[in-house]
Amino acid sequence: MKFSVSKDKLVQGLQTVQNVVSTRTTLPILSNVLLQAGEGEVRLTTTDLDVGVRGAVEAAVERPGATTLPARRFLSIIRELPTAEIQVEVDSKNQASIRSGPSFFKILGLPEEEFPPLPKFEDAKVFTIRQKDLKDGLKKTSYAISTDETRYVLNGILCSFKDNKLTLVATDGRRLALVDIEMEFPRSHEVDIIIPAKAVTEIQRLLTDDGDAKLTVGANQVSFEANNTLLVSKLIEGNYPNYRQVIPNEAKERVTLEREIFLNSVHRVSLLASEKSNSVKLVFSRNNIDIMANTPEVGEAKESLPVQYKGKELSIAFNPEFLMAPLRNLSNDEIFFDLIDEMSPGVLKIQSPFLYVLMPMRIS
Amino acid sequence: MNQRLIIHLDMDCFYAAIEVRDAPELAGKPVAVGGASDRRGVLTTCNYEARKYGVRSAMPTYMALRKCPGLIVLPTRFDVYRAESARIRKIFRRFTDLVEPLSLDEAYLDVSRLTHPGAAIAAEIRGRILEQTGLTASAGIGPNKLVAKIASDWNKPDGQYEVTPQTVAAFLRDLPVRKLWGVGDISAGKLERLGARTCGALQAFSRIELHGIFGKFGLELYDLCRGIDNRPVEPSRPRKSLGTEETFPTNLTSLQECEARLASLHAGLLAELAEKEASREIHKLFVKLKFGDFSRTTVERVGDRPLLEEYRRLLAEGFARREQSIRLLGLGVRFAEEPAAPEQLALALEPSRAGFPGT
Repeated sequence: MKFSVSKDKLVQGLQTVQNVVSTRTTLPILSNVLLQAGEGEVRLTTTDLDVGVRGAVEAAVERPGATTLPARRFLSIIRELPTAEIQVEVDSKNQASIRSGPSFFKILGLPEEEFPPLPKFEDAKVFTIRQKDLKDGLKKTSYAISTDETRYVLNGILCSFKDNKLTLVATDGRRLALVDIEMEFPRSHEVDIIIPAKAVTEIQRLLTDDGDAKLTVGANQVSFEANNTLLVSKLIEGNYPNYRQVIPNEAKERVTLEREIFLNSVHRVSLLASEKSNSVKLVFSRNNIDIMANTPEVGEAKESLPVQYKGKELSIAFNPEFLMAPLRNLSNDEIFFDLIDEMSPGVLKIQSPFLYVLMPMRIS
Repeated sequence: MNQRLIIHLDMDCFYAAIEVRDAPELAGKPVAVGGASDRRGVLTTCNYEARKYGVRSAMPTYMALRKCPGLIVLPTRFDVYRAESARIRKIFRRFTDLVEPLSLDEAYLDVSRLTHPGAAIAAEIRGRILEQTGLTASAGIGPNKLVAKIASDWNKPDGQYEVTPQTVAAFLRDLPVRKLWGVGDISAGKLERLGARTCGALQAFSRIELHGIFGKFGLELYDLCRGIDNRPVEPSRPRKSLGTEETFPTNLTSLQECEARLASLHAGLLAELAEKEASREIHKLFVKLKFGDFSRTTVERVGDRPLLEEYRRLLAEGFARREQSIRLLGLGVRFAEEPAAPEQLALALEPSRAGFPGT
């Protein structure tokens, strides 16, 4: 195998696939990137067996072929090379020679055959979705994915395709984020799948604001294709909990807030939320919220915000991180916060199909 | 990681062996310890004479008696077993601080720092146990916990088996996969269908194949069937409670009798507290009772001082709950945890009843 390639393009291509490569893998081949030189391009593939990513970079291929090379080391070398154009040549023993002006590197690879193939799809359902919609939906929900490995069905995002709508749901059992995306598909395509957190992170990196993405759902895997890159992931097996029932039907009190101002206030006050209790208290009164926190033997913080609020006086405590996470991931200026009482979930909403249900903290 | 030397020590039918030691006339006879001849009782342990009849630990007593009508079933005496266990652990700690007890009769010892050969250390420990308690133990010696634990079963009872780093591969070749952690009936069945009944056969599978079959556990299996196990020997974590108890040879029938025993148990508890957990803050006191019909009750109260009169009150309250004689009396303290923090409430998420439509 022999090809020359632009340094910048190769760096970019490797960066796209290298996140999947684990540093502490017990299986050496999974630390490697598969290089396949074919007509006018070199395909780059990585996998950790759960998630696999394949991209391609334009290259002048002199002799086609394939090998695998240690991904991180390869990238760290390419990044430092002195010339814009570089040559890569791999011999039959999978030794790669990298030439760039005065520089010469030789690194040892492993044979292509050892690299686990990306799974094949049979009887798959294919969807087309606007990249921007999906990217935006994942941003608004993915922070709520549970990291508790004992609740493995929650370690991913539920994608529910139903009634010409994709509903994305993420929850860790204390808060829940949900987005609806309008799209079109036949009724026979209605399906619920759970995409693992790691794949969600990679998909977000892959998506841009323009064009469509192709989404293929198989029996226990899913693939995303966008911008000349393919991502394949196993699905989380199991039933997602019945999330509809935790969404309150109606709110008693609604307060309208300016997102950024509210976020900044909560953030400032949370500086004095104690590590142990990690809560901020919100006291709602007529057209005002007091945001408060304290740490015993350290001190306290309080901030007052003028708001539109005409409901009854209400005092409720939240984990500040859980309160700030959606505020950071939304872009709207105006948000609505619906409340019932100090022991019931609060719901953050915006002018589009999104909601965030957050359970309060009980202060003894 | 440096080469480690781990010993798994396992007392031979511990409770039954203690009973036979304390009553020499039982020697050579089938003996078991457990829930009397009561229909609901099960055996905790039985000796090798009883095992010849097919009697096993955890077997219901009535079933054991059917298999072996001459079986002598004795009630458990946990205070005695605990005392023996403490003596044995003291012996362990003379060899190493890295002792991880698994139960009263089993422990892992990391003896990597000793210069003697593993087999000699194990033989010395077993010799001292026999000398000081009159009880026999079996030992497995290996480069890690996994191998040591499997090896301790090899020459049981009163024997030991050493697997050196050089012999690990041979040791595992014919070992049934069932002996590995986490391999129960289901996994073993799956493996058997794949033709992997032994660890040796399982070694033919690649990590990728095992991951495909068992997910993450497959990657673990890949290591286990090769005898690879890097888990450290961990001395115990902080305890949540401390207690002491006594099972009486004949049931106590009056509150006065119970109170008479309470004082000595209380003294024992205070001594143990002073020795083991002198600095911990106490949150609750409790008394537990087991009645003649094997039912139990626990009475507890918030309090930070383990005073005898508090325990008297708890005992009277528990005693009054049943009109029954008392088999076992225990008392103890629960330790305070970290101060109460505001509690994050949880969403009322329930598993969905309807399954997902098939993909």
